[in-house]
Amino acid sequence: MKFQSIFNALNWKVTLAVLATFLGGCSASFLDKPPLGLETSASFFKTEEQAFQATNAVYNILREWSVSVFSYIGITDIVSDDSDKGSTPTDANFLLEVDDLTFDAGNVSFSTVWDGYYQGINRANLVIENVPLIDMNVANRNRLVAEAKFLRAYFYFNLVRWFGDIPLVDRPLQSDEYYSKQRSSANEIYAFIEQDLKDAAAVLPVQYGSADIGRATKGAAQGMLAKMYMTRGRWSEAALYADSVIKSGKYALYPNYAKLFTREGENSSESLFEIQTAAYTTEGGGSQYNEVQGVRGEPNLGWGFNRPSDNLVSSYEAGDPRRDATILYVGETLPDGSGVVLDNPQIFNERYNQKAWVPQVVGISNGNGQGNIRVLRYAEILLIYAEAQNELGQPQLALDAVNLVRKRARGNIPNLLRDLTVTDQTLLRERIWRERRSELALEQGRWFDLIRQGRAASVMQALGKNFVVGKHELFPIPQNEVDIAVITQNPGY
Amino acid sequence: MKIILLRTKSAYRLLLMALVWGLSIATTFAQTYPIKGEVQDTEGEPLIGASVVVKNAAIGALTDELGRFSLNMPAQTGTLVITYFGYKPLEIAATANQEIRVVMEIAPTEIEEQVIVGYGTQRKSDLTGAISSVKAKDIARIPSPSVGTVLQGKLSGVQVIPSSGEPGAQAVIRIRGVGTLNDASPLFVVDGMLLNDISFLNTNDIASIEALKDASATAIYGSRGANGVIIITTKKGVSGKPAFSFNAYYGMQQVTRQIALTNGSEYAMLANESATNTGIKQPFPNPDTFGIGTNWQDQIFRNAPIQNYQLSASGGSDKMTYLISGDYINQSGIIKTSEYQRVSLRINNEYKMNKFITVGHNLSIVYNDGNNAPGVLGNAYRADPTVVPIDSSGKYGNTTNNAPIGNPVAQFDYNANNPRYNYRTVGNLYLDFKFLKNFNFHTSYGLDYSNGVQKTFVPVYFVSSIQQNQVSRLDVGFDRSRNWLWENTLSYNLEKGKSRLNLLGGITSQNYYGESIGGGRINYPSTDPTFYYLNAGQIEGQTNYNSASWWSMASYLFRANYTFDNRFLFTVSGRADGSSKFGKNNRYGYFPSVAAGWNVSNEKFMSGIKAISRLKIRGSWGIIGNEKIGGNQQYALVSPNLSAVFGANEVLQNGSSTIAPGNPNLQWESTSQSNAGFEIGLFNNRLQGEVDWYRRVTNDILTTVPIPGYVGSASDPTVNAASVLNTGVDFKVTWQDARPFNYHVSILGSTVRNEVLSLGQGKEEILAGGLGVGGLLGTRTVVGSPIGSYYGYKVAGIYQNQEDLANFPKRGNEVPGDLRFEDINGDGVITALDRTDLGSPTPNLIFGANFGLEIKGFDLEVDFNGQRGNYIANAKKMARFGTPNYEVSYLNRWTGEGTSNSEPRITDGGGNYDFSTRFLEKGDFLRLRNVSLGYTLPSNWTDVLNMGSLRIFVTGTNLVTWTQYSGYTPEILGGVLDGGIDFGIYPIARVYNIGVNANF
Repeated sequence: MKFQSIFNALNWKVTLAVLATFLGGCSASFLDKPPLGLETSASFFKTEEQAFQATNAVYNILREWSVSVFSYIGITDIVSDDSDKGSTPTDANFLLEVDDLTFDAGNVSFSTVWDGYYQGINRANLVIENVPLIDMNVANRNRLVAEAKFLRAYFYFNLVRWFGDIPLVDRPLQSDEYYSKQRSSANEIYAFIEQDLKDAAAVLPVQYGSADIGRATKGAAQGMLAKMYMTRGRWSEAALYADSVIKSGKYALYPNYAKLFTREGENSSESLFEIQTAAYTTEGGGSQYNEVQGVRGEPNLGWGFNRPSDNLVSSYEAGDPRRDATILYVGETLPDGSGVVLDNPQIFNERYNQKAWVPQVVGISNGNGQGNIRVLRYAEILLIYAEAQNELGQPQLALDAVNLVRKRARGNIPNLLRDLTVTDQTLLRERIWRERRSELALEQGRWFDLIRQGRAASVMQALGKNFVVGKHELFPIPQNEVDIAVITQNPGY
Repeated sequence: MKIILLRTKSAYRLLLMALVWGLSIATTFAQTYPIKGEVQDTEGEPLIGASVVVKNAAIGALTDELGRFSLNMPAQTGTLVITYFGYKPLEIAATANQEIRVVMEIAPTEIEEQVIVGYGTQRKSDLTGAISSVKAKDIARIPSPSVGTVLQGKLSGVQVIPSSGEPGAQAVIRIRGVGTLNDASPLFVVDGMLLNDISFLNTNDIASIEALKDASATAIYGSRGANGVIIITTKKGVSGKPAFSFNAYYGMQQVTRQIALTNGSEYAMLANESATNTGIKQPFPNPDTFGIGTNWQDQIFRNAPIQNYQLSASGGSDKMTYLISGDYINQSGIIKTSEYQRVSLRINNEYKMNKFITVGHNLSIVYNDGNNAPGVLGNAYRADPTVVPIDSSGKYGNTTNNAPIGNPVAQFDYNANNPRYNYRTVGNLYLDFKFLKNFNFHTSYGLDYSNGVQKTFVPVYFVSSIQQNQVSRLDVGFDRSRNWLWENTLSYNLEKGKSRLNLLGGITSQNYYGESIGGGRINYPSTDPTFYYLNAGQIEGQTNYNSASWWSMASYLFRANYTFDNRFLFTVSGRADGSSKFGKNNRYGYFPSVAAGWNVSNEKFMSGIKAISRLKIRGSWGIIGNEKIGGNQQYALVSPNLSAVFGANEVLQNGSSTIAPGNPNLQWESTSQSNAGFEIGLFNNRLQGEVDWYRRVTNDILTTVPIPGYVGSASDPTVNAASVLNTGVDFKVTWQDARPFNYHVSILGSTVRNEVLSLGQGKEEILAGGLGVGGLLGTRTVVGSPIGSYYGYKVAGIYQNQEDLANFPKRGNEVPGDLRFEDINGDGVITALDRTDLGSPTPNLIFGANFGLEIKGFDLEVDFNGQRGNYIANAKKMARFGTPNYEVSYLNRWTGEGTSNSEPRITDGGGNYDFSTRFLEKGDFLRLRNVSLGYTLPSNWTDVLNMGSLRIFVTGTNLVTWTQYSGYTPEILGGVLDGGIDFGIYPIARVYNIGVNANF
């Protein structure tokens, strides 16, 4: 019968057996599909090169939107008496709420920096936890861990000053720990920062070779320690670490204050730490720090946020050249002479932060900003030293330091910004505070100063802002974080 | 008196019998030839209302209460066509002046309707599972390029959500609600090929669509059955002479509605008021001068044509059958610059090698290209209406003064250059080998191969400092994927005595691989499309990428069906799936099901109950799975490109790190589903009903869950997060009759009650659904409530004056005119703790209604669909970054004591924008989905043209929607934890078509 022949030819039992063998035999590898073109954690943190890559990844986040750009500028400068929101009146309303102290916990500024800074902390934690286990050059290994600790301390230092008690995450969290954290006290956070910075200062090199300029140095760690102690009112330690930086002989005030903030003044003798950016045609090295503060309209440079306030304009001593170096007015020629700022009728009381100005690079978008973001410079170390010595009853040491700053500011114009001579502790304190404001305006430190000096309420209330004592010293924990992590909120929010 | 007995016997052992009585009587009129008779069923009962028509003449009559008829024929002899619903139609030769008696048999299709099930077919009467089915004729009346959208309101338990009106966009389908927090789309099985994307299909090629709903039906698809399965079978040729068909339509689409926004003067006035309320300078010194201003929606929408042509030929012999079909569709989108066209070819052939072996293939080759509209929809909603699109000097108006919202008209010029094209081949080759009488071995190799290119070109332009591009740029991406599926099944059929047994076993394997490669360059010498090639750009600064993904599955399946005496039905099935998406420890999942049915109407005791023609009761239980997660979720991946700039020369040093977590412990999501239902047919199946109750519990739901920011993760991890219950009823009731003409009315619907049973990891709630500028979370998933329930404040009113502020709980910053929220926890102040559940985004009832009739060559089909019980978050209204345009509801704002108790004073941010019932709207709607009117030309006309049939039609789709929702459409798609949030979707179109169906 015909059927039989076919059946014999295609013995179904054999067919199935072959099939089953094929599927069964290869199923183990058939179902193994590792990621393609992607490294997994299993092969990472094994080599020295990867140790560097992971550390570079911590630096990488410094220039991100969430860490150093829009909201960051909002809750350091715009919130303070130094500047107003800027731009057109109605653009980016949430920053107006910041400016007016009418924000609540849902304001996007807080969740932006919260997420950004904790992502930075996580990147640093990955280095600090994993790099010590890598078989590699010991000096490099220790240095990379120290760099990560410096950066972690920087992230925590901003967070603790904004939010007070915050979760302390000292290593990468495992999935069963995601919801485990509660807020640690600000004291604990400061102790943690202190330890990180001390560890970093003990290991970090005094300086790097040309290719690695921009990495954290010993001076940066010591300077940051001094600033942290100043914030805490631990004056002798502040003086000690500021003095270490001064005595190191590695730093000097840059002769020209105005040029310090141009491209020419990047990584100058005055720089302890600045966030490195570059405008590549491929992008990937820039920051929007410059763009959001750039001239809005003509010339076409940016969005025009962080407008220097009337109060800042009038705060300078007569003739202080730092005012013109800090503020870019309508009608003013751009620092590189490439054009004049034209009036934009949409912008009320138009002026800009000149310290954030960078020239336009033809063929490269403004969002790819090339200006380094100055985080800590020698002039501030001198001012920290001055403030600390004044608090410690050493007015002459204080005056010596503060007058160095004034000397540089006046340049070669005589009879300007004369040396201070006042030795009364209270009066000198006020002069140093004023000096800090003039010297460091629009460098994202003013609000922290007002808070630590305990006069934010009086200063802001005098400007008609509704600063509520017992509330506005701290910003609200972002509502989303309170909701997701189930942690407590700051008072008043 | 003459008796004619007609008897035929088909292969299906069906007897067709007719008796015709003839009586010669004298003619009374010279021109007419009277004839009369009666129509009965096989038991001698008269059939009332049967249609008796003289063939090729517009003469006919219906039988009366005694089953009698009489009519006049146009000639001495003729052919009578006798039809009666549910009975086999008859054609009888008749001579005038006779009296004839006709006996009609119940139509065989009603007895043995076959339904496609997973890996086979089954008699409908033997089914134990819940399966909704729709045939080609039921969907052919809605001309649509998308297969999904034609199903809307056609299948009970199936919700179809048009994802957007973008041309070429596919509809999203959900079966029996949302059982997962993950991708809730069903599995598509097209001619045996398992797919997630059916955009290559054209509606005219489809023979039938079945939705498998319960575990008995879907468990055979194991890990991919949890969201239900849609089986689509394409047409095949049938033996006989070649049949040709030509279908075409041309239509015009338009936006169904515009969102009511403020005009120029109104906007300027509100913006000024907002500025005053915020304490800043008013932006518009003379608001009245703007008049109507620019209606930006008019600037982006257009009336857009759509056209479709399909030609097919089919036929065959006893050795082979063939079907070839070609289809062309060209659709412009209702938003300018959105275009889509598709050319497809289908060849479905089957060859009988001999008595034992059949070989066949289903092959579809598709080309499509298109262009997406730029993101103008949100900008048209928000753009400043006081600004002209283009000023008198030809410059684009700057819309960015009061909000960072670009000029939409400029976007069409600068951001609409994104051509794409794609080739796709989907097909399978199969072999059936029947042997040893009862066995059938089936092997099928299917392939889905896709190859696409997309380009994006952005020229240099400047509209404003917010809307500009300083360097021209072209990005090009090529992607390619292939997905093969090899299935081998062996089935055994046995009919012995009263028993019918069907066994099926199989082994399948599937493998997917996709790769993409692309690059970008800047500084192009021209904006012309002939320069949209990377070589035209500058080498310096070029970028590139190349990535790939893959996954595989190996499965073993089994099913047994047993039917006893056509009364008792049993099904057992199981499948084991191994997936590469899971770590070694959790790689295999096992998915069993059992089901039973009882054909009550086949019981002896039912034979006396004439009214009930069919009654079946069935129940099932089973476990099915879901593995729809990305391929690499188990791994913690290293993120590259986290580079940092260092050094005097500003060199980018390579950076990367493990910033996103993996989850090696991921395991299968499983759903246990119980189903109980009945099918009933009454009055000779003129009234048919089908009702299913179901209860689905989904465990270990796979989803990404928001984690605290302090973890510092770059993304949220995928976890097995929760258990969710879905329970409800699917129903469909149809009345159809042939008297006084063919018509049918159906009502169908499904209810869904969704409740979260538990959350994993000891969590009490999952908040999600970022809304507004701050991305505030607006949904909460909590045990005891529906998934992703809205979570926010309840508006109690507005603080009318200082007294209200003193008397009512508040947050602190409020002034008169601000929203007053309910103090839910009663602690006397309003805090975040006063947020509460505000309602669910999931409708609790989805329904459809269809009505159709055929009379004298005309056919009319009317479809409604709708839903109720859900809410929509109007997130686009909530997100105010600056002072964009306002919805007209703002005109009713509070402007002083007593002016409003619901619409607060105007601001562009602050507490009034926290998520509250202010931004929640009802999503209930009823839509006149489709009206189609056709006319089939009389056959004596078409005979002259040598045609089989010719039908011309007009249709209108999405004609009217009754809803309170203010947006474009109340059908909002979203994630599962964050559904129903309207950020502004591409609106669906109202379409008017005219077309033709011709058969030769």
